[in-house]
Amino acid sequence: MRLLLFTSASIILSLATARAAEPIKPEHFEKLHALIKPQADEEKFMQIPWRTNLWEARKQAAAQGKPLLLWEMDGHPLGCV
Amino acid sequence: MGRELTFADAKIIQLVNEHFVAVAADDWFQRRRQDAEGEFFRKVADQGPRKGQGGSTRQGIYAFTADGKLLQYRNHQDPDVMRGFLLAALKEWDKIPPAQRAKGAIEVPDLKKVDARYAPTLPKDALIVNVYARILDRTDDFFCHGSCKFPGGQRASHDHMWIRADEWQALLVKDASKGQEIAVPAKLMYRLARYHLIDNTRGEPPMWARKDVHSAQIKLVVEAVTLSEVRLKLTGAVLLASDADPKAAKRGFDVSLYGQICYEPVKGKITKLNVVAVGEHWGEGTFTGGARPGRNPFGMAFELADPSRSADRVPPQGIREGDGYYSAHR
Repeated sequence: MRLLLFTSASIILSLATARAAEPIKPEHFEKLHALIKPQADEEKFMQIPWRTNLWEARKQAAAQGKPLLLWEMDGHPLGCV
Repeated sequence: MGRELTFADAKIIQLVNEHFVAVAADDWFQRRRQDAEGEFFRKVADQGPRKGQGGSTRQGIYAFTADGKLLQYRNHQDPDVMRGFLLAALKEWDKIPPAQRAKGAIEVPDLKKVDARYAPTLPKDALIVNVYARILDRTDDFFCHGSCKFPGGQRASHDHMWIRADEWQALLVKDASKGQEIAVPAKLMYRLARYHLIDNTRGEPPMWARKDVHSAQIKLVVEAVTLSEVRLKLTGAVLLASDADPKAAKRGFDVSLYGQICYEPVKGKITKLNVVAVGEHWGEGTFTGGARPGRNPFGMAFELADPSRSADRVPPQGIREGDGYYSAHR
């Protein structure tokens, strides 16, 4: 069954529409990976130790006698934006 | 933009780290949660201008006490404005009698029940892969970071891909031999294509529908075998387009993939997963306006996450579709 799933997927998917993207050259791989990843100056916001659990952050704020700062966005601010 | 403007500002970082407990959350989940955490968040938000009428967004930046008193709310990116916001919040905090804001003065009970539909959790032993996307420009013989008019659109964006234990374990074969081809589960290939080969560099992106996947081929071949490590080479190509005719599609991504996956055969543990996807992307979604006109170079990088970092445990955007994320091939 598992083999069938893999195989049928391959057959269906191999009905490829004409494509234009050039294959990635192996010698470009590491360089591209480093180029695309976030650079240090793009990650300054991570100098703040963001919690991702509001309830646990409440507990911590209460224990430390501090207010909370909530960065609330549509799309997680530390995720897909 | 909050990453680039507000929370990259040195003074803001200092103020937050010294005076606040900082937390980040996805409003799409928080405003829907039917549990004590969701109720608490809505109680805080409803003291501000955004009360979520008709289920709408409550996004913004909130300063509040552990028992839910709102101190300040703004939805702004400008560092000058947000420095003022933080100082104003601290002024409000100082107005509270010291006995009410002292350490331990507020009791927060344990959260007993969690609304699992809107508080997705990482499946047991699942692999987390960090996913980054970036616009690129061509140079004479390579690529460089792209430029665009959209504020912050040149930065690398983030997301995370979750791979269930049975899925990543299917890639680890016993007695691997050089040149051996390993079948990639269709559900994994489609999850990658539909939920992760996306342009989220300008905000929340639309995911690809099943019909938008015009072709998807990923080949995994054993490249090297030692007693301590098996190295797999990944190559592939995916064509995504929002119309039956890709040439007429308003949005698309024509992309090639290349990468390496390494695992320890004895421990059955993946130790490296580095993949790049580079091609031409075009078009935009409802919340990702401001795309560069025409087809442009676009790159994505994948690597294993560090599960000890809270930021790396943030769920994939595509998990909003629930089980659809795990059965993207259907």
